[in-house]
Amino acid sequence: MIIYLAISIMFFIGIYGMMAKKNIIKMIIGVNIIGYAVNLFFIVLGYKNNGIQPILVPGVSIEEFVEKAVNPIPQALVLTSIVIDLSTICFLAALSIRIYEKYGTFDLEKIRRLKG
Amino acid sequence: MNLIIFPVIFYLLSSFLIALLWKEDEKLSGIACLSFSILTLISIISLGKHLILNERIVYFVGNWRIPYGITLMVDALSYIFLLVLNFILPIICWFSLTYIEKYTKSGYFYILFSLISAGLNGILISMDFFNIYVFLELSSLASYILVAFGLRTEELEASLKYTMIGFIGSTLILIGIGLILGKTGTLNIADFMSAAMSLKKVQLWFILGLFIAGFALKSALFPFHFWLPDAHSLAPSPVSAMLSGLFIKITGFYLLIRFVSNVFIMFPESKIILMGLGLVSMIFGALMAIDQIDIKRTYAYSSISQIGYCVLAFGIGTYYGYLGAILHFIYHSFSKTLLFLNSGAIEYRYKTTKIEELKGLQDKMPYTTTTGSIGMLSISGIPPFGCFWSKIIIIIAAIKSFYYGIAFICVIVSIITLGYFLKLQRNIFYSKKEMGKNEEVNLNLLMPMVLLSVIIFFSGLILIPELKIYLDKAIDVMQNFSYIEIMEK
Repeated sequence: MIIYLAISIMFFIGIYGMMAKKNIIKMIIGVNIIGYAVNLFFIVLGYKNNGIQPILVPGVSIEEFVEKAVNPIPQALVLTSIVIDLSTICFLAALSIRIYEKYGTFDLEKIRRLKG
Repeated sequence: MNLIIFPVIFYLLSSFLIALLWKEDEKLSGIACLSFSILTLISIISLGKHLILNERIVYFVGNWRIPYGITLMVDALSYIFLLVLNFILPIICWFSLTYIEKYTKSGYFYILFSLISAGLNGILISMDFFNIYVFLELSSLASYILVAFGLRTEELEASLKYTMIGFIGSTLILIGIGLILGKTGTLNIADFMSAAMSLKKVQLWFILGLFIAGFALKSALFPFHFWLPDAHSLAPSPVSAMLSGLFIKITGFYLLIRFVSNVFIMFPESKIILMGLGLVSMIFGALMAIDQIDIKRTYAYSSISQIGYCVLAFGIGTYYGYLGAILHFIYHSFSKTLLFLNSGAIEYRYKTTKIEELKGLQDKMPYTTTTGSIGMLSISGIPPFGCFWSKIIIIIAAIKSFYYGIAFICVIVSIITLGYFLKLQRNIFYSKKEMGKNEEVNLNLLMPMVLLSVIIFFSGLILIPELKIYLDKAIDVMQNFSYIEIMEK
């Protein structure tokens, strides 16, 4: 249970970094932390104490396998999710480089032109 | 029947082929994208023949049965969305052929265009939570990049904001999917529904709440709307047309319909929440649209207002409410696409979309003026154009369910819509007579707009009994279908 609490704290740290910080790089780090929190959440869903890898090898009976093997689905999903996070963050980093070229600063207060 | 995977395959093929072979050649990449989108339209139309005979088409990828594999499904409801989507995409692609010439590296535009289209088609055919998420992210990522395609400073800032907000929306949806996986151990929608009986009400409410918040962020309903006016008004015009006309409706509105009326059928009261969200964003969008100085920003706020109409009509939840929601989706998709393409034509000729810099276009650009006026009159609900019919049905639905206040607000918002569009029309098209020489844009930009206006003019015909049967089939899906039926086969 404590690990879920830790994950939610991590998630809200990410949200705080994204919403409250004025520096674009810090905001991107916030996005990154949110992504890590969600990925960790998925990994914990499939975790078992003293689990074995979910591959049926000779010498392991079906009952033992069912009891001990970790759930492989969350791990497969996390791979997809990591790729999506990676591409989002790559794009954000590329954007921030362009913004720095135009304005010479990462401070969102100084570059804000849109009203919203 | 594996005809249903072709929409995704064609568009993915299009993006990969352009990326590998033709991205340097700007003409060829555009023509490749257009021909693949027409191929998709043909495959969708031939899919329709099968759908008339069968109630729905289910396809098991790799022949893995539920719950082991990925399942794809098309029924009457998703077919209407597929048809509208794939009808509009070739038109936008046709318009882009000329419009996109002003950017460098326009081969990359078509790669991203195909990726968004593949994602939107994929959302409509999949029947698996994680599959929906992957396609959602595919189209969202491509749209973040396309918003910043022009690389002007404002576009970069709008794209930054849009990416961050879109990421939060996707994350909320992903957490919901994670909770589903943790509690039931399955990702297939049909399998989830048979397992959901054992879950507590509170848990299901929490998951549904996460989904509603995520989709509301994607479709820019009121408290989550703030990214839309920037992103949609600063993107290149064909992209704005696609985002406003199709993207927010499919990633937001369609998935809300599916999840509220077909998946979480145990909570009919969640429609009340949607009614509230729709009502507030309807009023807010209309009020904000009045006092804008940019054509495309007016259209963007109008989109918030009109998506509010769709969600409100769905939230009313009777037969007429559903009919109004579907019709308003169809008509507004065509009209808003037309309007954004129209502003694109003006921008192509005069390099600006500021209202004060444009005056008296009626003599200089007669066809653009006519098509633009048709689009505006349609959205403000003037007969015989499309949105009149859907708005009147939404008002009837509200009155039949005894929501007199909502019916009254619908009429008022419709009048406000008419007001700001008439003001816009007077300012940019019909202001003081200025006898300039004809500066009409060329046929490649003009024909898509004319085609869309003809469709809007005759689109009221969808309500004749011969065609309304198919709408009724979709409404029957919204009222009675639950995914568990597929499980029992």
